[in-house]
Amino acid sequence: MIDPAAHRARIAGRLEPGSNDEDLIREWARHERSLGGYRLLCVHARGGKRHRARKVTKDSSSGGVLRQNNLEIMFGGQAGDGSLSTGDLIAGIFKRMGLEVYTYKDFPSRIRGGHTNYVIRAGERPNYGMADAVDALVAFDLEAVEAHVDELRPGGFVVFDCTSESVPEAIRRSDVTWYDVPLAKIAKEELGLELARNTISLGVLAKLVGMDPALVRREVTGVYERKGEKVLALNVAAIEAGASYVERHYAEWPSGYTLSALADGDRLLMMGNDAIAYGALVGGCRFMAGYPITPATDVLEWMAKHLPKFGGVVVQAEDELAAINMVIGAAFAGVRAMTATSGPGQALMTEAIGLAGVLEIPVVVVECARAGPSTGLPTKTEQSNLNHLIFSGHGEIPRVVLAPGTVEDSFYLAARAFNIAEKYQCPVFLLTEQALCQSKATLPQLDIDAVAVDRGKLTTEPVVFGEYERFAFTADGVSPRVIPGVEGGMHLAPGSEHNEAGVIIEDAANRKRMMDKRMSKLTAMRRDLPKPIVHGDKCADIAIFGYGSNRGPIVEALDRLGRDGIAARFFEFRTLWPFPESEVAAFAAEAKHIFVVENNYSGQLERLIRYVTGPLAHMHLINKYDGKPFRPIEIIEAIERRALLRGPIEEESQSQSVRVKR
Amino acid sequence: MAKVLTPKDFATATPAWWCAGCGDYGVLSALKQALAELGKAPKDVAFVSGIGCSGKISGYVHSYAFHGVHGRALPVATAVKLANHELTVIAAGGDGDGYAIGAGHFLHAVRRNPNVTYIVMDNQTYGLTKGQSSPTSATGYVTGTSPGGNPDAPINGLAVALAAGGSFLARGFSAHPKKLVELLKVAIEHEGFSVVEVMSPCVTYNKINTYAWFKENTYYVDAAPGYDERDRLRAFGVLAAGENADGKIPLGVLYRDSRATLETLMHLPEQPLTKIDLTSMHRELAALSNAYA
Repeated sequence: MIDPAAHRARIAGRLEPGSNDEDLIREWARHERSLGGYRLLCVHARGGKRHRARKVTKDSSSGGVLRQNNLEIMFGGQAGDGSLSTGDLIAGIFKRMGLEVYTYKDFPSRIRGGHTNYVIRAGERPNYGMADAVDALVAFDLEAVEAHVDELRPGGFVVFDCTSESVPEAIRRSDVTWYDVPLAKIAKEELGLELARNTISLGVLAKLVGMDPALVRREVTGVYERKGEKVLALNVAAIEAGASYVERHYAEWPSGYTLSALADGDRLLMMGNDAIAYGALVGGCRFMAGYPITPATDVLEWMAKHLPKFGGVVVQAEDELAAINMVIGAAFAGVRAMTATSGPGQALMTEAIGLAGVLEIPVVVVECARAGPSTGLPTKTEQSNLNHLIFSGHGEIPRVVLAPGTVEDSFYLAARAFNIAEKYQCPVFLLTEQALCQSKATLPQLDIDAVAVDRGKLTTEPVVFGEYERFAFTADGVSPRVIPGVEGGMHLAPGSEHNEAGVIIEDAANRKRMMDKRMSKLTAMRRDLPKPIVHGDKCADIAIFGYGSNRGPIVEALDRLGRDGIAARFFEFRTLWPFPESEVAAFAAEAKHIFVVENNYSGQLERLIRYVTGPLAHMHLINKYDGKPFRPIEIIEAIERRALLRGPIEEESQSQSVRVKR
Repeated sequence: MAKVLTPKDFATATPAWWCAGCGDYGVLSALKQALAELGKAPKDVAFVSGIGCSGKISGYVHSYAFHGVHGRALPVATAVKLANHELTVIAAGGDGDGYAIGAGHFLHAVRRNPNVTYIVMDNQTYGLTKGQSSPTSATGYVTGTSPGGNPDAPINGLAVALAAGGSFLARGFSAHPKKLVELLKVAIEHEGFSVVEVMSPCVTYNKINTYAWFKENTYYVDAAPGYDERDRLRAFGVLAAGENADGKIPLGVLYRDSRATLETLMHLPEQPLTKIDLTSMHRELAALSNAYA
């Protein structure tokens, strides 16, 4: 360890004029490259105005403040040892401090053991994704250090539980501060419970970044109060034990980070899956059937807890085949119904989705995507099920694929999915992925009044038997719909081709007309579908396409490119099917460089765009399929490599892609 | 005064398209008769069927009929019942639909015990695909897919259902219309999941299990002295053919109990889900966000 004076000097050294976050990022990126893990070319020399993101303040007593109200913490340890609950606790504290929060869970597919980490990002502006680098690593074991020390921002710090392990000098980066704290030992000796080390680490962190102890205490009380006085007292004592250790041993070693409370306001901190379930409930869903599958299970559990209070029913089905058929049955009977699943379950549901399409039954299917194929990486993020949602199934049906880009939008699109499904009597998919649906974010209060229920051509009044036809041909392809119990509406709903009355016939002319009727709904529905959001400078030469969890890192990349004088714009899909062809064509038309950012190998979205634009030499794929979400720097560097440096890239073939792989 | 219903009230304009002499005709007419005698209005009957010759039956009963994908009639029917418990919900399918591709759902519907009646029309062959072996075909049964004789043992669906906690198990024979109507009526009136397996001979492909064969090889348990349909162990014995030395197939109500239904255990509200006012409980909906504040 270096002495305290040298430490202060090092932090102060980062405060030279002209130094700011982005310089540090460059330095970090160089560091990554020097380790050989970062494959992107160095992009440095370029003109353009440098924009100061934030004035760095200097505090003489603490030796200087490197970053204020801007912190990404990673808790790393073994699955089941409490990293997640501690992370949730700190996310709640950040929210109470008025900061914008985003969390990301990176955990193994098992309950006990195996490295897990939980990232909590806090800042003054909303960020729906991770930062470029981790500021603070709380490592409960050496494995966490080994796995993540290279993700630390220069100037960042590590809190390491040194009770039974020590960090070898070889990986003890000199550009970060190390706080060796015997967390487990303190827990055992001072609190008599080793499990308390998580909360102790929270006390350590709170002290190191200057969190208001009263706020910390209030959040801890809010969380642990229900568990009894003893548990609450233990956790409060643990926080104090952590803070006290820092006071005694590291008073001379400021972290360089500081957090100060802003106004919390009327905000929420919510996980994507909760927002989906909540949105569905507000949107009128009263029946859910599902089969537990990561990362979609939260939706089923949320509904199981809340739906019955609103007269609804949740069934844990025996498999996904049953789940989707139950949803179809409930919707046939007249209840707004949905299921939630992930890739493997979606595959099993495929046949029945075709049935819902041909029977014109409104169903909502939430797909919380994870890395495939087969079992794949069950707890990691990926966007490789887009093709599956759009093209899967034998035969052809009208279907809708919606993709929210934020937790807030997850709520509104989930609610809206039911209106679209009922108005156009077809399956609607709500596509999200692990990095969004299992992440928490701060968001403004949700506007329940903004959600209106529109049941389309549903009638519960008696109809005249013989006159009424369930599959009647209409101008918009949507037929008046009755439900069982309605006098006069009796009919057969057959998966076989049928005539207007529902009678199974194989007549060629009827077949063609029925196909035309069903598929024409794809055109009729366009005006009701969520519009894309265009971010950034609308005239910029650089155009980016993306959706879902990538909205966060892309928007952040856009802002930072803009500050460096590189104008770019971003087309955020919210409806992926029917494909917004005219909007895509218009957005791509004037661009000099087009980038499609997505988390899969083959560029599924890029191919859809190519169907519209034709092959374009200036369209490039920025993709990632290692189970981890993008960090903004990865997108920035990939874009800069293409848009600013031409050299080696021209030699590559037209269909190449910039693969970002770390 | 409610109108007195007759089987004609359940007739459809579409004629049934089964082979002449098919056992399924007997099931269809018995079902229409049972529904009429029970005074069920067609608008309040939801009839869900699977795929196969037998699956076509939903198209021939004037009702809210649903002809879904192969093997999945029971999840659909269960959900229809949960969505609107005022409906009379009946599911039907063949031995392939229920005991092969849909076997998983059969087991779980039995476990759940929704107030749904399930008719398994058992012809011991796959008729619509032209005579392959089915899950109830005898071992050794020779077909296009089992030219060397079916190597698999037949499934005893009712015994499986009994083991899984079935609350009503009956077996009928499509050539015994009066008995079948009675069985169906009792089954539909049963509070819980009622399984009625009907021996429904395939006159085209199954040359072994014919009408004559069934007449020779079946008997009614209510004729057996002291048969108690609430005696679960005895029902197991009868289903396993252990009680009847000549190995004949037992017919009649084989077992019933009064286990709580799925709707009861789920505390389903009195008002069907289909009648919930979706604009109500606004305040309660808004309050849910408090947990995230």
